[in-house]
Amino acid sequence: MPDQKRIKFEIATPERVVLKEEIFQVTVPTVEGEITVLPKHSPLVSILKPGVLEVKKIDGEIEIISVSGGFVEVLLNKVIILADTAERAEEIDLERAEEAKRRAEESLKNIRSVDAAQFANIAAQIEKELARSRSVKRWRHLKGR
Amino acid sequence: MAKTKEIQRRIKSVNNTKKITKAMEMVAAAKMRKSVEAVLKTRTYANLAWTTILNISGASDKGEDLHPLLKVRAEIKRVGVILLSSNRGLCGSFNSNIINKAVSAVKKHGNIDTEFILLGRKGLVVNSRYGYKVAAEFDKIDFVSEIKEVMPIARLAINDFLSGKYDKIFVAYTDFISATNQVPRVKQILPVDIDAEDEYLGVVGKDEKVGTTKEYIADKEAKYLRDDGYKYIFTYEPSSEAVLDQMIPRLIEVQLFQALLESNASEHSVRMASMHQATEAANDIVDELVLFYNKARQAAITSEIAEISAGANALKN
Repeated sequence: MPDQKRIKFEIATPERVVLKEEIFQVTVPTVEGEITVLPKHSPLVSILKPGVLEVKKIDGEIEIISVSGGFVEVLLNKVIILADTAERAEEIDLERAEEAKRRAEESLKNIRSVDAAQFANIAAQIEKELARSRSVKRWRHLKGR
Repeated sequence: MAKTKEIQRRIKSVNNTKKITKAMEMVAAAKMRKSVEAVLKTRTYANLAWTTILNISGASDKGEDLHPLLKVRAEIKRVGVILLSSNRGLCGSFNSNIINKAVSAVKKHGNIDTEFILLGRKGLVVNSRYGYKVAAEFDKIDFVSEIKEVMPIARLAINDFLSGKYDKIFVAYTDFISATNQVPRVKQILPVDIDAEDEYLGVVGKDEKVGTTKEYIADKEAKYLRDDGYKYIFTYEPSSEAVLDQMIPRLIEVQLFQALLESNASEHSVRMASMHQATEAANDIVDELVLFYNKARQAAITSEIAEISAGANALKN
């Protein structure tokens, strides 16, 4: 493959840099819908929503990363993701992710009089955990496990 | 004999103190290393967020009118200062340095109504000694690893700024330059100043390339936004306002988070240095006491022998 067909990819959270390497393509969940970025995509900045990020690496492997919101910045041949939280699928424990999601749903049911901010917090939590378990399932599916 | 006993007791007590200071020194060293690592890790995110905001504001001719958090107010009536200090003492002049710096920065601006937002228990001095009003006091955790922990403060700062309670908000923190050099700094975080010339965030270590500077942005543009003489312009989804709306608060959180990490790294390194000094001082005292002890012991033996020989002489006569 010639060099110009690669994208420099970087995904960072406030706490750490999760992944930084050259890739072929990446699929990103944004608030406007899912987009796939190929080399030479025109510059774009968009807001992420909680979901599954799919990265096609140059060795043919597909990396699945779960994100819980943030931003994506597309430059010529470079993609930067500023995520609030990001985890690689292989690092997520499915049982615990589902457990966390159940807990969040429970707390939503239990609290009768929640104010708007609290409600939004819990809803965001559920979405995040959902994205985590979805990304693990996707990863397992890809790996045939 | 009584004197040697007493000296022995003192030697023992100083040795015990030395053990404690030595242990504290090592604990502080380990914590410092972790904090420094954490600061370095947040830098990527902060730099990337800054460049995006600058790109957006550069592309629009509205400048600071683009977003209320960017708008500099004409009249400054009330100022908020977020003061990062430590929870515990035994860290040399760490707290007094940052508090003095914050108070003198406030005084320099004349008689503007100032309120403090405290993070760390030792900051209360601004109220008890200097008489400033404390608007809020947050608990500080000694080792911070997640940005969640600064979110309440960031939210308070943003809300109070937008509601007009404060016209400017500063953060006073101790910048970690190296294990032996920490500088107290007061920085404006709100309104976000897009025209600031120097680097926007504190720099750890001596590498000057890591700050987000105008050159960095120009370099980025040349590398990733130009192709065959064309300059590409960003598309924003859903809109540039929506992106700014989300990104500026995040940036403020990240800046506070970085300030907190810098402050923690500084606190631990100051504590390490002062505990190291305490250990050295304990060593000196022990050496001195051992000398006294030996002298006292010899004096006791000499006087005992003198007494015995005097007694023997008396018997002989």
